[in-house]
Amino acid sequence: MDAFIQAVELVLDPFVLGVIGLSALFGMFVGAMPGLTATMATALLVPVTFFMSPVPALGAIVTATAMAIFAGDIPAAMLRMPGTPASAAYTDESYAMTQKGQLNLNMGVNLVFSVAGGLVGVAVLILAAPALAEIAINFSSFEYFWLVCLGLTCAVFLTNADAVKGFLSLFIGLLLATVGIDPSAGFPRFTFGEVELMQGINFIPTMIGMFAVSELLRGAISVRDTGHAVIQQVGDMFRGLGPIWRRYWFNFLRGSAIGTVIGALPGAGADIAAWISYAVSKRFSKEPEKFGTGHVEGIVDSTSANNSALGGAWIPALVFGIPGDSITAIVIGVLYMKGMNPGPTVFTENPQLIYAVFLIFILANLVMLPLGWAAIKSARQILRTPRNILLPVILLFCVVGSFAMTNSLYGVALMLGMGLFGWFLEEHGIPVAPLILGLVLGEMLEQTFVQSMIKADGYWLAFVERPIAGVLGIGTLLTWGIMLGRAGMRAVRPATS
Amino acid sequence: MRLNDAVLGALLLGFAGWVWWLTTFFPAFPGQDYGPNLFPRILASAIGFCGALLVFRGLRARERLVILEEWTREPARLASFLSILAAALFYLFFSDTFGFIPTAFAILVVLFLWFRTRVVVALPVAAGMTLLVHWFFGGLMRVPLPRGLMDPFL
Repeated sequence: MDAFIQAVELVLDPFVLGVIGLSALFGMFVGAMPGLTATMATALLVPVTFFMSPVPALGAIVTATAMAIFAGDIPAAMLRMPGTPASAAYTDESYAMTQKGQLNLNMGVNLVFSVAGGLVGVAVLILAAPALAEIAINFSSFEYFWLVCLGLTCAVFLTNADAVKGFLSLFIGLLLATVGIDPSAGFPRFTFGEVELMQGINFIPTMIGMFAVSELLRGAISVRDTGHAVIQQVGDMFRGLGPIWRRYWFNFLRGSAIGTVIGALPGAGADIAAWISYAVSKRFSKEPEKFGTGHVEGIVDSTSANNSALGGAWIPALVFGIPGDSITAIVIGVLYMKGMNPGPTVFTENPQLIYAVFLIFILANLVMLPLGWAAIKSARQILRTPRNILLPVILLFCVVGSFAMTNSLYGVALMLGMGLFGWFLEEHGIPVAPLILGLVLGEMLEQTFVQSMIKADGYWLAFVERPIAGVLGIGTLLTWGIMLGRAGMRAVRPATS
Repeated sequence: MRLNDAVLGALLLGFAGWVWWLTTFFPAFPGQDYGPNLFPRILASAIGFCGALLVFRGLRARERLVILEEWTREPARLASFLSILAAALFYLFFSDTFGFIPTAFAILVVLFLWFRTRVVVALPVAAGMTLLVHWFFGGLMRVPLPRGLMDPFL
């Protein structure tokens, strides 16, 4: 209880509230601008929050991402361009509603169900995380090894890309994580005599490169095209929501549940949650023929799902130090920088910080209602921000942000190299998310693997002898089996057809 | 720009071989079976395996070696793409000499103008953003942004 009161005091600090307010505005703006994503918002926020204490730093990230995921729905409905990838699953459906003259209703549904879905995700986070932490406190290197393996496998399993390219991305990420002093013998690997590389590949410039610079490169191609978007003004967006709630309450619960679970699975975040819940909604709908014609049902499912995924992603991040999506991958980097190594011990040593994160999550979702309303009302002005001014300014932020993380040009060079590399990978259909997860978890995987090997001393069964390790291990091996089977089927099929 | 899977795979095979070769210089520690080279070697093999699969797939698909999208043939679009890279490179090479304020201002103005912003908008916005970023990062957050030419004035 003391910890809870402490957490309330931490959150209600005027500075923290100010940071939350500003990040909310920032998140709304980034989310509403097509081409700028929630992950990019997070990566650009980290240098700004670098010198803050943990609570305002985490508060900024939680708030900005929650706002961005909702705000992505606004241009989806108005311009048929998703503001963030998380809105892509139902962009066509939203736009079809707008064309039918239901923009008001669409915006109302998106706002209210985003808030409600977000709150469900937080509720599950609050209930599940401390309970899981109590179990996790007994974990040894064997359990962590399998957990990391399972997490990394999930990351590949859940991307839409083909398995070979997904695994490739993961292995490159893990290999990048081996740069620097190795955890078992203290030998500097792949540093080529560079002092900056001894600490490993710096994480934040990498993220800024992969998620912001690569996006700028794609955006620059079309930035000189002129064109004016016609945007409708939104009227009373809360009218007619009552019947939707009564009719689709089950869709809301199902979407939020799917979102939370997908969010909690490592490597898959809000965007995949939205795709899956939209597909589930269509599959089990009584009127699937209406999907795609501006039908609100699928939107209820998926707009709840993408916001609930945000809360879900924090569960493995806080409890095991395994990120649930790319946003929490950055959060884990931030936690390490602040000296709070994520894992079950945070729950006993710094419970006030955990409670503070919970409180900020609730606060962010509640603030979303008035702020989201304001964002929708001023969408005309926001969406008129010229991209030819925005792009160079973001580039400047990327450069300065990366510089600030290392206080040297090494950060800028790393950002540039990783930006180009990230762009190259995506051009070849190689997803970036597994690479990021590999980079974050590489050291943990190697450490637990080498520790377990030394403990087992050649006795392989030791990896699965402890009960939880056994379950996790068999689960991982089964998933590998399924993936190999699927890949095999795919290899055989073209030959027979 | 997209390389054929076979070309990409071949590059990856070469990369994996190079990584393996680098690990041969890692020291072994007597009495410890699992040294610093174990994990990188597993990963190099895995990357090599994926590379080999891609080569196999690429050869079977019989596509062209390099596919260039439409935009790479339009000089203006290509220049826009390269301008982002050039701007970052310019900062890397000249920020120490010129200092943050002149470098950032120059980058913003050139990019704004190339992206078709009017001069009356570009100049004040570039100046304003440069000073804002300098005040926030250099002043508030104490990031040691290079002073360069501006040293006597700051």
